[in-house]
Amino acid sequence: MNRTIGLVTTNYTIPNYAPLTDERPSAAIPFGGRYRLLDFALSNMVNSRIQTVGLITPHYYRSIMDHIGAGKEWGLDKKSGGLYILPGAVFGFRESDGRFLFRDMLHNLSYLEQGDADYILVSSGTLVCNIDYQPLINQHELSGDPVTLVYQKASPGHARPGHYITLDETGRVTGIERASGGEFQFINSFIINKTLLLRLAKDFDALGYLNFIDLLAQALPNLRVGSWRFDGYIAQMDGVQEYFRSSMDLLRRDVRRELFNPDRQILTKIHDTPPALYAPGSEVRNSLMTAGSIVEGTVENSVVFRSVRVEKGAVVKNCVLMEKCVIKAGAYLENVICDKFVTVSENKHIRGTPDLPCVLPKGGVI
Amino acid sequence: MRKKECVAMLLAGGQGSRLGVLTEKIAKPAVSFGGKYRMIDFSLSNCVNSGIDTVGVLVQYKPSLLNRYLGTGAAWDLDAAYGGVHILPPYATQTGGEWYEGTADAIYHNIDFIDEYDPDYVLILSGDHLYQMDYNLMLDFHKLMGADLTVAVKTVPWEEASRFGIMSVDDEMRIKRFSEKPKYPDSNLASMGIYIFSWKVLRAALLADHADPASEHDYGKNIIPALLGQGKNLFAYVFSGYWKDVGTIPSYYSTQMELLDPDAEFKVHDTRMHILSNLNGHPAHFVGEEGKVIHSMLCNGCEIYGTVENSILSPGVIVEEGAVVKDSILLPESRVGAGAVVLRTILNERSSIEPHAAVGSDDKITVVGDNSTMEV
Repeated sequence: MNRTIGLVTTNYTIPNYAPLTDERPSAAIPFGGRYRLLDFALSNMVNSRIQTVGLITPHYYRSIMDHIGAGKEWGLDKKSGGLYILPGAVFGFRESDGRFLFRDMLHNLSYLEQGDADYILVSSGTLVCNIDYQPLINQHELSGDPVTLVYQKASPGHARPGHYITLDETGRVTGIERASGGEFQFINSFIINKTLLLRLAKDFDALGYLNFIDLLAQALPNLRVGSWRFDGYIAQMDGVQEYFRSSMDLLRRDVRRELFNPDRQILTKIHDTPPALYAPGSEVRNSLMTAGSIVEGTVENSVVFRSVRVEKGAVVKNCVLMEKCVIKAGAYLENVICDKFVTVSENKHIRGTPDLPCVLPKGGVI
Repeated sequence: MRKKECVAMLLAGGQGSRLGVLTEKIAKPAVSFGGKYRMIDFSLSNCVNSGIDTVGVLVQYKPSLLNRYLGTGAAWDLDAAYGGVHILPPYATQTGGEWYEGTADAIYHNIDFIDEYDPDYVLILSGDHLYQMDYNLMLDFHKLMGADLTVAVKTVPWEEASRFGIMSVDDEMRIKRFSEKPKYPDSNLASMGIYIFSWKVLRAALLADHADPASEHDYGKNIIPALLGQGKNLFAYVFSGYWKDVGTIPSYYSTQMELLDPDAEFKVHDTRMHILSNLNGHPAHFVGEEGKVIHSMLCNGCEIYGTVENSILSPGVIVEEGAVVKDSILLPESRVGAGAVVLRTILNERSSIEPHAAVGSDDKITVVGDNSTMEV
């Protein structure tokens, strides 16, 4: 029997993502050529042998549902267990301080209460890493702590807003606070005993507007909270700039090896595109390229999604080109993110900077 | 019991011995083709694109990879609530067990399977042809002509006609004569090995054929001549699109290399033509700082740190620093070590070329497997 069920949250807003989030929730942002951010959280769950996963959706869930369907690609279309679609509260629109709106859990207690599971493993839908949760689950089980937070030790000078924790010498959490920097950053994943979650839901029913981690911070004096450190690579996803940098991280062999570890494959919706075609005269260097693309021009230091077309004489440098973009002959792009279905006209020149990439919204013709 | 109008039976039991190293461990329909496909994908995709959702796949020779690849049929949307893909190996009975002794015998042993679906028509296919075809058009023709058997044919150049099974027809496309590899052909309509039978007629013919100890249980050699002899209605359906039987190493090599031609007849990049496959797990592929890709097709999961020219790379192929790959076809998960030179070579699945090795030459095709190499 599997004693752990999963919960993936997507009902929140990450500011600074416009225009990539104009039409989609943050968790549905395309990443790495053929994935959406959500794929990582879902794959990490199933790769850690979690066979029941609840997905809390935001109100504008079209792109998420289009992507995951019945959960077939993740092996979650099952008779027993599998994928549960859980409606999130409308307040997710304004929820930008955290990833776990308590109200979303309160609204979906019937999912959390069901079955024989003892533990609920929770992850935000925008946590992009390749993590084996089995050691966390084992530690949680052995420690007897009713909740265990996953954290990462930040590098010196690290300054990113989020929840930071302090620990005693045994690894127990002694403090949780919002800060713009610190030593141990909570990475938006935790495991909690079902009984504790249900008790908190009963005791703090009126505090649904809170973020669950803020609620834990308040309850901390009366709770034993454990910690589990994850040392692997995490792609930062706080906004367009971080997204751009994380995309460029994928050009590193070590990052790809870890993130796309074939033993713990990241699963995604299958599109069955033909192989990428490199036409005579094309030049591609230091780039991540996806099937279905046709390259006649030059691509350097870029991430190119499926079925993109780079025509003759077009130059693409330090760019992220999402699905089905067309870069017409003679166009020049540098430090640009093209959302899906963007067409860049012939001989058009567009330049951003590494710190401020130019973002072309979905479907635009420039 | 619900009825299916047409059930497809896909012959996938053959060894394909002329492909040598490539079919050492797997059946010919499972051999990788065109980067991200296996040969069976083309016929299976045609079925799905023609709305045929019940496919029996007849396996015999080394079926394990093929079985795993087909899985539930979900990759081709063939995980149907009723119908779907069924793998049909030879089986034992109360009186013993027998291998499939020929293409017709394989279907004979699965009469019960076909009867379960009570079809009006049975479509017989091969798992090793490269083509795109709407079987509905052929079925419409079959019905319109009131045929008992319709054979798909292709016009071939006269000088090549003696290499094929040739159909001689009258003005109405009624088949008058069938000759297997005739020395002096009187027609240039070659059988593509694609048949639509009215099930009642085929069923009776299979029972009669099974009872004949002299029969080789082959469609071309036995079933078609028998039906002709009985005066049944046999028609030829002319298919004008691209079609290739990929039976030998030279044709396996050249039909794939043709895919690189921008004017290729068979266009894998045509978005109207959806070829489905089950090789989709890899991340995007990567071309390194020193990597160079010239006029090639690459699949997901490849990592290119050397030079790749005029080649086709299947999913998960790694070409290390300084390696040069030219005019070659690298099958899934194969690897070319640093500094190696690979010319006009087919590198088998999961096989490796040692660093700094030199393999192949311009004047012949070299096939490299784990333990063996052959030249053609």
